Amino acid sequence: MSDEAIDRSKLPIRRPQFQGKVERTLDGSQPDWNYVAPIPAPEGAPNVLLVLTDDAGFGNPSGFGGPISTPTLDRLGEGGLTYNCLHTTALCSPTRAALMTGRNHHPVGFGMIGEFAGPFPGYSATLPKDCMPFPKTLQGNGYSTACFGKWHLTPDNVQGPSGPFDRWPNGVGFDYFWGFLGGESGQFDPVIIENNTAIGVPEDEDFYLPDALADKTIEWLHGVRAHGSDKPWFAYFSTGCSHAPHQVGTDWSEKYKGKFDQGWDKLREETFERQKQLGVIPADAELTPRPDAMPAWDSLDPNHQRLYARQMEVYAGYCENADWNIGRVIDAIDEMGELENTLVIYIWGDNGASMEGTLTGTFNELATLNGVPLTDEQQLQLVLKWGGLEAWGTDMMGPHYSAAWAWAGNCPFQWGKQVASHLGGTRDPMVVHWPKRIAEQGGLRPQFTHVIDIGPTILEAVGLPQPTHVDGVEQQPMHGTSFLYSLDDAAAAERHTQQYFEILGNRAMYKDGWWLSWMMPRIPWQLDPETLKRFAPGVWDPESDPVELYYLPDDFTQAKNVADQYPEKVEELKKLFWEEAERYDVFPLLGGLTGFFGMRPPIPAQSQFTYYSDVQNVASGMIPRIFNHSYTISADLEIPEGGAEGVIVAEADHLGGFSLFVQDGKLRHTYAFLGVLEFRQESEAPLPTGSVNVRMEFAADAPEPATGGEVTLYVDDEPVGGGRIEHTVPARFSGYAGMDIGRDNGLPVDRNYADRSPFVFTGTVKKVVFDINPHLTEEHEQELHEHLEQALAGQAINA
Amino acid sequence: MSEEQKDVVIAAYLFEDLAQKDFDAVLKLAEEKTITVEGVVLVQKDAEGEVQVTETGDHLGRKGLKIGGGVGLVVGLFAPPLLAATAVGAALGGLTGKFAKHRLESGIGKKMDEALPPSSGGVIAVYDSGGADTVDKALVNAVKKSVAQIEGMSAKKLKAGLAEAQAGMGG
Repeated sequence: MSDEAIDRSKLPIRRPQFQGKVERTLDGSQPDWNYVAPIPAPEGAPNVLLVLTDDAGFGNPSGFGGPISTPTLDRLGEGGLTYNCLHTTALCSPTRAALMTGRNHHPVGFGMIGEFAGPFPGYSATLPKDCMPFPKTLQGNGYSTACFGKWHLTPDNVQGPSGPFDRWPNGVGFDYFWGFLGGESGQFDPVIIENNTAIGVPEDEDFYLPDALADKTIEWLHGVRAHGSDKPWFAYFSTGCSHAPHQVGTDWSEKYKGKFDQGWDKLREETFERQKQLGVIPADAELTPRPDAMPAWDSLDPNHQRLYARQMEVYAGYCENADWNIGRVIDAIDEMGELENTLVIYIWGDNGASMEGTLTGTFNELATLNGVPLTDEQQLQLVLKWGGLEAWGTDMMGPHYSAAWAWAGNCPFQWGKQVASHLGGTRDPMVVHWPKRIAEQGGLRPQFTHVIDIGPTILEAVGLPQPTHVDGVEQQPMHGTSFLYSLDDAAAAERHTQQYFEILGNRAMYKDGWWLSWMMPRIPWQLDPETLKRFAPGVWDPESDPVELYYLPDDFTQAKNVADQYPEKVEELKKLFWEEAERYDVFPLLGGLTGFFGMRPPIPAQSQFTYYSDVQNVASGMIPRIFNHSYTISADLEIPEGGAEGVIVAEADHLGGFSLFVQDGKLRHTYAFLGVLEFRQESEAPLPTGSVNVRMEFAADAPEPATGGEVTLYVDDEPVGGGRIEHTVPARFSGYAGMDIGRDNGLPVDRNYADRSPFVFTGTVKKVVFDINPHLTEEHEQELHEHLEQALAGQAINA
Repeated sequence: MSEEQKDVVIAAYLFEDLAQKDFDAVLKLAEEKTITVEGVVLVQKDAEGEVQVTETGDHLGRKGLKIGGGVGLVVGLFAPPLLAATAVGAALGGLTGKFAKHRLESGIGKKMDEALPPSSGGVIAVYDSGGADTVDKALVNAVKKSVAQIEGMSAKKLKAGLAEAQAGMGG
């Protein structure tokens, strides 16, 4: 079938007209072999490799003057083009939604992250069917397609085997997916999803997720070609690096030993000078100053300086490894002889470097995300507890570095992730490499670009139209602008001339070089109730937030606020922002991390959850809602003569989780309070044999966030032991680790059985039943329900 | 406050050299007679996880044991049998003066072993309670400290004090 004969405007493409002839028998029949041929891609269409790293800053990679060695990014830039004005949304899911759909993040439901779906069109975390991601277009037009790594576009409550799967990667245009659905993953103990199935935690002791992602990508590329296919392919390589937890082997982190002893102030100055030398920023650019909220490096005591230096050493090693793995994929493509006609788009970061570790950094980011306040001193003690500096970067911790390192990594800009009002949150490096098409090598492209431009650019590059209909649903036009025009002309006038930015109340409006910053008066990592109250409905007036105005052609770094000099321009851009916000479903502004404060979802009807013995890897966001109130876990067991041991049910790990298990004949319950405290209870006597019911009953002091309470253990309804849990986890145990029946996959909740992981139960677990509403009065339930959204607000920064 | 009232402090450090620095600071206070110290021990855990007593200090602020048997550090709190039975067990061995590179073997040693990560350090000190604030300030680089009080000096009381301080270190 000739390319002209194919109507590619509607997907799926209709079957062709049969051009042969059919008689009663083969006698006289004339074949039409085009009728059985698959839909071809446009003639000469290139392969496409789209690379996205996570939580990474403009001033991190060596190709952009940073301290982290990124030879892959650098060589692709030297052989292709470097873009120094690429923008993201300033948050993970929103950027990914914009990247995949070619549309602004709010109108595709991702004003927020996938873990936090809300009841407004701009915040539903549900990709609308009339904004289908562009991989679906490639898939329907003769491409083999695959996604590896972080997805973060599947709502939190539909990540199990019951689906629906229409917003999993396979449902939006990917033939193959291997990675994780949520916002983050442990590097050593991920729960891997392959297509529509959770295949669990790899048991290989040497497993390291960033390496495995490259292995799987190369394996898939080889597989595509091994089967005689000459189809072009599209691979979306979305490494979870450098999102927390920052974990990497010492062979990578040791490369940076001592490299950050000079501190973040000096590092930023060094980076800035290199950026000028490389030409990725203008020679007359000014370095923006450190905000008052961050301490001067020289003001820190030796303990903190060394701890912080180690944090950055690990982060740098983690990032270099990611770039190395991307290099392995590039090398494999080259070895296959296909690099010449492969369009590689390598984006360093889905937002600016993350400040979510707070000023001290944290040994366990989930402690921060649950709003557990830890002092500097406590952080140091907990680092000591879990193995000291040597353990920072291992799976003993879920670490995140200090916010000040993120600020340094976003050099030369202000602020970082979440702060959509400033370039530190929104601008990231990008290189584009396509030898067959790009004549210039090592060129710089300064045109304003945005992640919503990626889809339109790829479609134009491969010669495909944006479909008007997909699966019968009329499509909204993409909002992005192809930047293909800039490949041949460094001086081409930019075509993407206007763009709004908004994340959690931080706003900006860009138009023709002018940038209006409208930042909420809140330090991004402050999550305390008093801070959040300032942005509650009826309290916060966004119109009264301070504004800044920058003219980027003369002020690359946003160092010169000219709002006072151009009041008319300020008003013009304010007005334009409100218009764009209305047009693109930005309303209602969420008011920081208060989320949907005061707007409660319906009370769930289900209060009992039954799990049979073979259930594993229940997604961390889908475990029973046991938080902040009383609950029971009951299990029917069969214990053979001679006894049994092992885990009955366990969620997550020693950095947050619970485990009901049998060891040394006794029933035991361990509750890991985010790595800060552990609470253990055990039965006084060994369990009997035969059919046995065991139960753990948690009687909360009050239905309120992080409530303490009393645990009682029962065997066949007789109390056999117990104890107190002083503090419970208010929102979530883990960002990725799942719940298992009859075993404890991945890292153990209780380190006392670490050497026997996954500590499979040697008897039989017939079933486990959670009752999450055994003691609540109606009044209590309502109170608790009101607390729920507040408690969940902390999750919003887990992006 | 009774002169017999003593504080037993256990301090843990993320870095060996900072533990050494504080250890030296406490000894200096003793040497200058700012405080009355019964004894100080510096323990370190190397990168391989071995816990060792690397230095000791006496009531005169002297390092190591140049005193043979029966004087200085050994007199009073850290008399050899007492020390052997409590803080560092066999670390002092036969009082040969070779205090480094000996593994802690007593119960408290095991607990210090658990409390310290590799390449870290700890300081154990016993001093008159009147010097508590001064010692606290001297142990400025400690990440975690726990203090117990004992009335008078005896092996039994010292063991109890060390156990109480260790318990205060928590997990």
